[in-house]
Amino acid sequence: MFDLSQQEELVLLQDQVRQFGAAVLRERHREFEAAGAVADEARAEYAALGLAGLELPEALDGAGLGAVARVLVLEELGAADPGAALALDALGPALYPLAELGGEAALTRYALPLLGDPEARALLVWGDSERPGRQRRLIEGGRATGTLPWVPAARADLLVVLDAQGAAVIDSGFRLTPLKGSGLRAAGAAELVLDNAPLSMHWRDPAGAARALARWRLSVAALLTGLMRTAAETSREYALQRVAFGKPIAHHQALAFLIADMHSAVDASRILVQEAAWRADAGLPFADAAATAFVEAAEAGMFVTPNALQIFGGQGFMQDLPLEKYLREARTLALMAGGIDLARDLAGAAVADSADGFALSPILAEEP
Amino acid sequence: MDFAIDAASAHRLAAFDKLGCEQMRPLGLEADRLGRPIPPDHPYFQTLIGMGFGRTRWRPDRGEQEGSADAHDKVGNSRATLLLSEQLSYWDRGVAVSAPGPGLGEGAIISMGTEDQKQRYLTPFINPDKPRWGAFAMTEPGAGSDVAAIQTRAIRDGEDWVLIGNKSFSGNSSRADFILVWATVDPSLGRAGHRAFVVEHGMPGLQDFHIERKMGLKAYESTSFRLEECRVPGANLLGGEGHYERRAGFKGAMNTFNSTRPMVAAMAVGIGRAALDEAIAFARAQDMTDDPRIRDRLERVARKLRAARLLSLKAAWLADHRRANIVEASMAKALAPTAAFEAASLGMELLGVVGARGDHLIEKLFRDVKAMDIVEGTGQIQRVIMARKLVGLPHG
Repeated sequence: MFDLSQQEELVLLQDQVRQFGAAVLRERHREFEAAGAVADEARAEYAALGLAGLELPEALDGAGLGAVARVLVLEELGAADPGAALALDALGPALYPLAELGGEAALTRYALPLLGDPEARALLVWGDSERPGRQRRLIEGGRATGTLPWVPAARADLLVVLDAQGAAVIDSGFRLTPLKGSGLRAAGAAELVLDNAPLSMHWRDPAGAARALARWRLSVAALLTGLMRTAAETSREYALQRVAFGKPIAHHQALAFLIADMHSAVDASRILVQEAAWRADAGLPFADAAATAFVEAAEAGMFVTPNALQIFGGQGFMQDLPLEKYLREARTLALMAGGIDLARDLAGAAVADSADGFALSPILAEEP
Repeated sequence: MDFAIDAASAHRLAAFDKLGCEQMRPLGLEADRLGRPIPPDHPYFQTLIGMGFGRTRWRPDRGEQEGSADAHDKVGNSRATLLLSEQLSYWDRGVAVSAPGPGLGEGAIISMGTEDQKQRYLTPFINPDKPRWGAFAMTEPGAGSDVAAIQTRAIRDGEDWVLIGNKSFSGNSSRADFILVWATVDPSLGRAGHRAFVVEHGMPGLQDFHIERKMGLKAYESTSFRLEECRVPGANLLGGEGHYERRAGFKGAMNTFNSTRPMVAAMAVGIGRAALDEAIAFARAQDMTDDPRIRDRLERVARKLRAARLLSLKAAWLADHRRANIVEASMAKALAPTAAFEAASLGMELLGVVGARGDHLIEKLFRDVKAMDIVEGTGQIQRVIMARKLVGLPHG
C-alpha cells in the first residue's frame, strides 16, 4: 500500500551523495563551470562513492539497484550541480539504450571498459527530429550523418544514438567542436558532427528504445527536481533575511504565496518522478509516467528558477550569486532527452488515446 | 517506496463503482435538476446503511476502531480512505457528502470529547438503526476563512450555557441528530475564547434552518441556522471545562481541518477525473482528439490531477505515520481544486456551446468543482498555512 518510506541502504546512499554534493560540488560549481570540466580531486571523490555501477546488474559486478535509487541520487547531484552530475558519470544515460536494447552482452562490450577508466565518457544523443514534420534522423542506411548543434560534453569515447526506432553505438567518425554553452557548462559543451560514421552496433527495437528514452527522461527530471529544490530553498532563505518596507520580504503575502507555490512545484515534480521510477522497478509500464514527470519537471523548472532569481531582485541577475546559473541550467536540462514537446506528445497520447476510455485509472497500479 | 494499492482496497474501490454508476451519479443529476438536496427519507440512504456506511470509527472499549465498516474509515488507514473518497467524488461529490454518518464533528468528539460525550453522541452511530447524521458548524456570515473571528456567543448561565448567533454553510445540519457548534465566550479573546458545544436536534432556540441554494453540489444540504438563546446543558461543552484550561479551543478545530485537507484534495481529484473522462469521451465522439492543441491540454490536465492525487496520498501517508503533514496537506488542498477546475473548464471548452445548454454532466461538474477551492480552507488560506511553516509568516 502506498508507502514512501525508503530502504535503509537508499537513505544512507542519499545522505552520502547529499554530503558529497554540498561539500565538493556546490563549493566549486563556478570553477567547474568556467573550466567546462570537473576537477580531478572531485572526480576522485565521486569515484569513491561507488555510484558508477549503481544500475548495472549484479552479474556484471554492479549494485543491481534500480530507477528509484538512481533518481534519489540524481536529485541530490542536481541539487548541487547538474552540469557536474553529467560530467561525473562515465556512462550516464547512455547506459539505458545499451541495457534495454543490447542487454548484458552490450554492457560487457561497451559499458564495462568505460567504468574502469576515470577519464572515460559515453555520450547519449537523441537522433530523431524533435518536432513532427521536420526530417532529421541521424541514422540512415546503416550510417550516421548529421549535426547536433549542442551536446553536454567536450569529448566522448563512445556515442550512443537513440531514436524512436532503436539505438546505435558509434565509436568513430564523429567530431566534437567545443562551444561555450548556455547551461550545464561543467559537463563540457560541443557541437557534434557525424559524417557518414559507421555503426559499431545497431538495434532496431522501438519498444526498447521507448524504455530507454523513458529512463533518460527520468534522469533529467530528477536532476531538475534537485536543481529547483536548491533554487527554491536558496530564495526562501534570502527572503527571510532581506528586509523591505519594514519586514522580511518573505512576509509580504505576494512573496509568501509565491514561495509556497515554488515549494509545491518541487514536491509535485519529485513525487511524479518517484512514482514513475517505482513503476520501472516494479516491472510496470512506465513510459507515460516518465514522460509526464519530465514535462512537469521541465515546466516547474521554468516556474521555480526564474522566480528564485526574481526574489533576489537585481542581485539575482549578477553572476556573483548562483541564481542566474540555476535558471540557465533548468532551461538547458529541459531541452534534453528529445525535449519537452516530444514528451508531451507521448503523455498526451496516453490520455487522448487511452484504450479503456479512462484517463487516470482509479488505482495507481495493481500489485505487481 | 511503494506506490501500489493493495488488492483488498482495489477490490473495495471496484465494488463502489457499481453503487457510484447505478445510484450516485443519477441521484446527483436528479438533485441538480430539481435544485434540492436528497430528502433524508430517500431509500438510497437506507441502502447505504445496509452496506455498512454511516458508522462511526469510534468504539467504546478501544477508542478508534481499525477497519470499521464506515465510509470514512473503511479500510483502516487514511490512504485507502482517501482513495475511496476520490472514487465516491468521481461519481458524485454532492451525493457523497449527503451520506449519513457522524460527519465532520466526529474527529473533534473523538479527540476532545469526554468519555461520556463519546458514549452519548457516537454510540448511535456504531450500528445505526436508520440513517443518522451528525453536523459541524463553524462558519458564520461574518467569519469564513478567519475562523478566529466567529461571533456566536456562549454565555454561562448556572449549570447551562446559552448560545446566541448565526451559523452558515453547515452540511446536513437540518437533518442532524447533533451539531457540533463552535462559539466564543469572549470575541476579544480570539481563538482562546472558542468553545465547542454539542447542540442536539430539537433543543429550544436551535431554529430558522435555511437550506441555501448553491451553484452546484445540490445533492446535500448546506444550511444556515440561528441560535436564539439556545440553552445547552453544561455536559454538552465538548471536552468539559478542563479541556479549554489545558489548551486553546482553536487548536482543536484546526486539528480537525488538518486531518481532512488531503481528503478534500482527493475529492477534488475525483471530480476532476470525472470531468476529464467525460471530456475525452466527448472529444472522441466528435473526432477532436487528433488536434495537438486539444491533446496538449488534455495532457496538462491529466498531469496536474496525477500530481495532486500523489500529493494527497503523500499527505495521508505522513499522517498515517504520525509525521508532520501541515505543509503537505495544505499543498494537496491548494493544488487539487485548481487542477480539477481546469479539467472541468477544459471539458466545457471542448463541449463548446453544447456546454451552454446547461444539461451536460460536464456543465454540472463545472458548477460543482469550484466549491472545492473554498471548503476546508480556501486556496489562499492553504498558502497562508504553508507560508507560516516555510517562512514563519506572522499570524494576522
